[in-house]
Amino acid sequence: MIEVEHLTKRYGGFTAVNDISFSTGAGVTGFLGPNGAGKTTTMRMLTGYLPPTSGKASVAGFDVFNDSLQVRKRVGYLPESVPLYRDMSALAYLMYIAEIRGVKNRRDRALHVLGRVGLQDRADSLIRTLSKGMRQRVGLASTLLHDPDVLILDEPTIGLDPRQVLELRDLVRELGQRHTVLFSTHILSEAEQVCQNVVIINRGEIIAQGSPSALRGELERGGRVFARADVAAETLLPTVREIDGIIEVEISTDGVIATPATPEIDPRPAIARAIIGQGWNLLELRPQAVNLEEIFLELTRHEAQGAADEEAEAHEYDDDDENDEEVSA
Amino acid sequence: MTDQTLDLAPKAGAEREEVVEIGGGPAFWAVFKREFRQYFRSPIAYGVAFALFLFTGIYFNAYVTGANGQAPANATLIPAVITFLLFLFAPLLTMRLIAEETREGTLEVLMTLPMNEAQFVIGKFLAVWAYYTILILVSLIYLVILSLIGTPDLGAAAGAYFGAWLYGGAALAITMIFSALTEDQIVAAFLGAATILVMFLADSAAAAIPSNAPWLVDIVRELGLTAHYDSTMAAGILRGEDVLYFVFLMVLSIFITTLIISIRRWRG
Repeated sequence: MIEVEHLTKRYGGFTAVNDISFSTGAGVTGFLGPNGAGKTTTMRMLTGYLPPTSGKASVAGFDVFNDSLQVRKRVGYLPESVPLYRDMSALAYLMYIAEIRGVKNRRDRALHVLGRVGLQDRADSLIRTLSKGMRQRVGLASTLLHDPDVLILDEPTIGLDPRQVLELRDLVRELGQRHTVLFSTHILSEAEQVCQNVVIINRGEIIAQGSPSALRGELERGGRVFARADVAAETLLPTVREIDGIIEVEISTDGVIATPATPEIDPRPAIARAIIGQGWNLLELRPQAVNLEEIFLELTRHEAQGAADEEAEAHEYDDDDENDEEVSA
Repeated sequence: MTDQTLDLAPKAGAEREEVVEIGGGPAFWAVFKREFRQYFRSPIAYGVAFALFLFTGIYFNAYVTGANGQAPANATLIPAVITFLLFLFAPLLTMRLIAEETREGTLEVLMTLPMNEAQFVIGKFLAVWAYYTILILVSLIYLVILSLIGTPDLGAAAGAYFGAWLYGGAALAITMIFSALTEDQIVAAFLGAATILVMFLADSAAAAIPSNAPWLVDIVRELGLTAHYDSTMAAGILRGEDVLYFVFLMVLSIFITTLIISIRRWRG
């Protein structure tokens, strides 16, 4: 439903999005990347809000630049800041957006989408009296009014409390059964839970794409294992390094992660023997679990100096300032 | 058996709700309605109305008392005063029109709906002009009072009020440009007021130009607002070129505002 080919956006000398290409099918696609990676810029181009510097993109079969009006009719877009008119009621706001969209049965549709996000009982509340989570849901409801083919949601879970985050994720997952959803986040575990596919972007370039499980498989083939004994990791490291078939060992908190020469080798028996042979007690020995977070760090390790900062930012409900994205905007 | 048949009914209803019927009115009409209603909930709009009628009321009272039953009933006085005051209250009425939407980010939502910038700007402009029209209509009360105590020239009054209506439309459209130019409402109001004041004073400025450049005098005079109102419409003389001048200012300002919104969006 979304096809992006060699899309580039420059602001003066700054390249926010550099020659990216990807395509998404039905279901929820996660658009992952640290703050300032170019997620918002890309989404703004896909919704026809920003013209690309070069390259092209089509949404629901229409070119975002040449057929902007057709695209807008078929897309529901929720910007990261969830802009709403604070002095309107939720129902009045939705009816206003529906009217601009040319929807005739405005009241029915507005009430219907409010029901869909679970806010039917707050229809007449002024938006400024609603909690952040409820506003987020009103914003989401406004993108559903015209039953769009494609939903583009920019960090919809930001700034919500943990329970609201879970509710919103469920909602997005449910919407993915009916609509094509492009959903940006910098929280990796979120993408893992919600998305059938992920596109990872960093510094304006796509560094990986595929299903979360395929991406994990790619790295798991490395067959890395984590080992911990009752000695310091520094002491353990040279012992593990000497084992045949192990090409790389690194310290990870209180243990070591060993990478075998080929994925087919299971280094665990050898590591166990080596540790016992030294007279130490083996405390832990397991395949190194790979989640998106690690895939992401792996993929960005060589380029991003700020990777370490992103690790902190990737922390689950962390919603500190999103200004990085604003700089590019 | 009967229970099963009953079960089917609500399902059919739920299915029907999913249907989206497209084909409502034009998008600018939706923008207009929301914005127009907004003026009746805005303290600034009430403040402007209060100040306007306080000032014109005092002025009118002074005039009637001063005339003391001797002078002819001057029906064009109040509309002329209103056009003078526009440099103050046009920016106050238009400053938040677009600046607020830019600052709150709602403009980003609106600009990704199937609506172009021109429809948005036209809806906004018509709303503020409609509010101003109501102020003008309320100010007809002075004409009614004059008719009760004297015999005003109703033809001149019609020209003057019609002119004040067009003059106001032009002043509001011009000040709206600054609301699109900056997110800061105070800056927008200040720039708008300065611009209208300069255009109001162009007549006096023309008078100060040395008379060896008569063409320059004419250009400056004709560009200003006053030349198209004070000596013509306010005197009850309706000239096509004056009407065209105000209509042209409105169209041009709407165009410029649309352009500014597009450029600001495109530059991100």
